[in-house]
Amino acid sequence: MTALARNEALIGAIPILGLLLGWQAAVSAGVAPSALLPSPVAVFGRVAQNLGDPDFLGHTAVTLYRLFVGFLIALAIGVPLGLAGATNRIAGAALKPLVRVLAPVPKIALYPALILSLGFDDASKIVLVTADALFPILLATFQGAAMVEPKLVWSARAAGTSPAGTLLKVILPATLPSILTGSRIALVVACIVVFLAEMITSTDGLGYLLVRAARNFQTVDMFVPLIAISAIGLLLNGALALTRKKLLVGFPEED
Amino acid sequence: MIAISGVTKTFQRRGGGTHLAIDSIDLQVAEGEFVSILGPSGCGKSTLLYIVGGFVPPSRGSITVSGRPVTGPGPDRGPVFQEFALFPWKTVLGNVAYGLREAGMRKREAERQAEALIARVGLKGYESFYPKELSGGMKQRVAIARTLAYNPAILLMDEPFGALDAHTRVRLQNELLELWERDRKTVLFVTHAVDEAVFLSDRVVVMSRQPGRIKAIVDIDLPRPRHRDELLLQSRYQHLVIELERMIEDPPEEIRP
Amino acid sequence: MTAAALATRTRATLLPGLPPLLACLALLLAWQLYARTLSMGGIPDALSTIRELPAILGDRESLADILDSIRRMAIGFAIALAFSVPLGLFMGRSRTVAAMVNPLLMITYPVPKAALMPIIMLWFGVGDASKLLVIVLGVSLPVIYHAYQGARAVEEKMLWSARAMGMSGPARLARIVLPASLPEILVGCRTGIVLALITMITSEMIARQTGAGNILFNALDMAQYETVYAMILVISALGIVLDMLFEYVRGLLTGWAEPRHDLLAPSL
Ligand SMILES: Nc1ncnc2c1ncn2[C@@H]1O[C@H](COP(=O)(O)OP(=O)(O)OP(=O)(O)O)[C@@H](O)[C@H]1O
Ligand SMILES: [Mg+2]
Repeated sequence: MTALARNEALIGAIPILGLLLGWQAAVSAGVAPSALLPSPVAVFGRVAQNLGDPDFLGHTAVTLYRLFVGFLIALAIGVPLGLAGATNRIAGAALKPLVRVLAPVPKIALYPALILSLGFDDASKIVLVTADALFPILLATFQGAAMVEPKLVWSARAAGTSPAGTLLKVILPATLPSILTGSRIALVVACIVVFLAEMITSTDGLGYLLVRAARNFQTVDMFVPLIAISAIGLLLNGALALTRKKLLVGFPEED
Repeated sequence: MIAISGVTKTFQRRGGGTHLAIDSIDLQVAEGEFVSILGPSGCGKSTLLYIVGGFVPPSRGSITVSGRPVTGPGPDRGPVFQEFALFPWKTVLGNVAYGLREAGMRKREAERQAEALIARVGLKGYESFYPKELSGGMKQRVAIARTLAYNPAILLMDEPFGALDAHTRVRLQNELLELWERDRKTVLFVTHAVDEAVFLSDRVVVMSRQPGRIKAIVDIDLPRPRHRDELLLQSRYQHLVIELERMIEDPPEEIRP
Repeated sequence: MTAAALATRTRATLLPGLPPLLACLALLLAWQLYARTLSMGGIPDALSTIRELPAILGDRESLADILDSIRRMAIGFAIALAFSVPLGLFMGRSRTVAAMVNPLLMITYPVPKAALMPIIMLWFGVGDASKLLVIVLGVSLPVIYHAYQGARAVEEKMLWSARAMGMSGPARLARIVLPASLPEILVGCRTGIVLALITMITSEMIARQTGAGNILFNALDMAQYETVYAMILVISALGIVLDMLFEYVRGLLTGWAEPRHDLLAPSL
């Protein structure tokens, strides 16, 4: 780590520490009763405690499962559709207006319909995550693939690659940076949506833990799932940044 | 070897109009011949080259290569672009081996041949580098090696040295000439540098603008093998350069959209 | 201009609405067919759902509820913009500010703001204030982030020449950095709209009191499935109208920039 980066990391810690200290100060000063505002020490103590609790870990696993399956399905649909839309005139003409209409629809409003047709279990939540994660991936893939330098494709065609072959050997790798950018947005939305869906149906998962704690007025426990989802988001973002670094070795840097 | 007859290209403009880029081009290139296309910016040099490559279809006219009509790209015509167009996700080795792998060669053998070619264009030791880690001149060497790898009978080069500094440019011109003297491929070479065209070519095709037409074809009757330092002193060379420069300038053309 | 050119021109200006309209019709048709055949009466079909719409939109109370939602969203959006854009621009021009705010941004981005409702309700009650607050929180993060990205990319030379002309710091931010970052800020706004809608609906679902989300989930609880589907249509239409409005404003504001009418604009 360079001195500059170290300094910036220190500066970045200031507001977070300040927030925590302010929080603790408010609690100590008795601004609000601890039933409304538990101390950060109590909250992080409970987080640490929960890390060894099989019940909590089980709920976390359920949330992660829905998050990943939904996200992977979105990836599996969005990337081929985006590639097809950008490289095939007919597919593009069919896809564009559909996406124009469906992308701005707030998917969470569809959730009741999903519950009614798929039930309260994993399926409806996974489909919701997929619906929300799909469009950032699809749009980014489409845009990336539409902007691939034609001379890359030409170079491959001249070297003997078939038109269909260029899709896999040129367009897909050239679109990879865009796909990863879309995935980053999709992952954030997926985190948000899976949690909300679990709050709405409240059967299991981190969202359910929040609702359960709220029902029983266990304020300290309400913070735990929130901190957990924030940590999951951070970890996923970090994992994605690593993947990016690995997959995009040859591409110009950008952050 | 290459027969271009009556090739015309009109582009559809966004507003709905059309734009005549090149008009009724006729040109024959013999096997093993080095022909340069010289002309002002926007006269349709690249367009003509892309049509010969089969990347862009002509609006009218036809192209045949060794008697067969061109309907699309093929490994008999290898392009080298001004913008290099290297695959950024592949290393130097991966880029150069690409055409060999596409031809169905085993990985081991393809890499062995690619390594030999990389050495031949003077990039030994850079096999594992990515294009972004190379200078412009090095990138263009890789691009040339990538095309040479699948051994096309014809090279289509679109201002391959246009983006390079003067020094690198001269070095690569010398190296290209050396490569060409060795295996005498048919070359169609686009440039707007007069001295480059004279130095390299057997014939120079001069194009005019608006629309792009062939204005003249000049034989370069300089002896081969050519050496730059000797050539620059020859009055025949100097005459050709001056003649071609006059041809490009004169008569003054106005740029019409 | 030739007649042919004129014809293509008019077609180009008249047509942009047509394909999306066709797509809407195709989707409704697919729904109708699905409801009638495959689902075997399991879900209401498109036609009967549309017939349900006048009942909802004609009803004073539900209409007031829906307008309430829109009002909250508009106010929340405006508040968020008012502080997020300056903050983002400031971050883009000062490394220290950026280093300071970035980690906090990264930690809070993946937290669903609507999920804060149960906690915020404890402090501010179930009224407007809580719902407004979560919408503001939801919108501000993407706007800050994109304003930051936009301001960071502004060409240094433009600022040098402004400085040479004697423009003060705040004036440079408002007159040069802001317009130059506008396209990127608008990308953030679009993400903001999506998050605002998600937050609005779920916050109303959690604090069952007023709003479109409230009607939707109450109908679900009371097994009034026709109303559920009709409300889904209403909210979807709201999303689409907001998107069209957004595109219009973007056209007005960034006419000078590259036209990006296509699918583009990484929206959520
Ligand atoms: N895809 C296209 N669509 C419309 N017009 C085009 C297109 N490609 C080229 N043109 C037009 O065709 C003409 C010839 O372009 P071309 O790129 O072949 O010129 P050039 O001789 O290679 O120029 P330069 O030396 O600058 O590379 C130009 O007037 C250009 O505007
Ligand atoms: Mg050109």
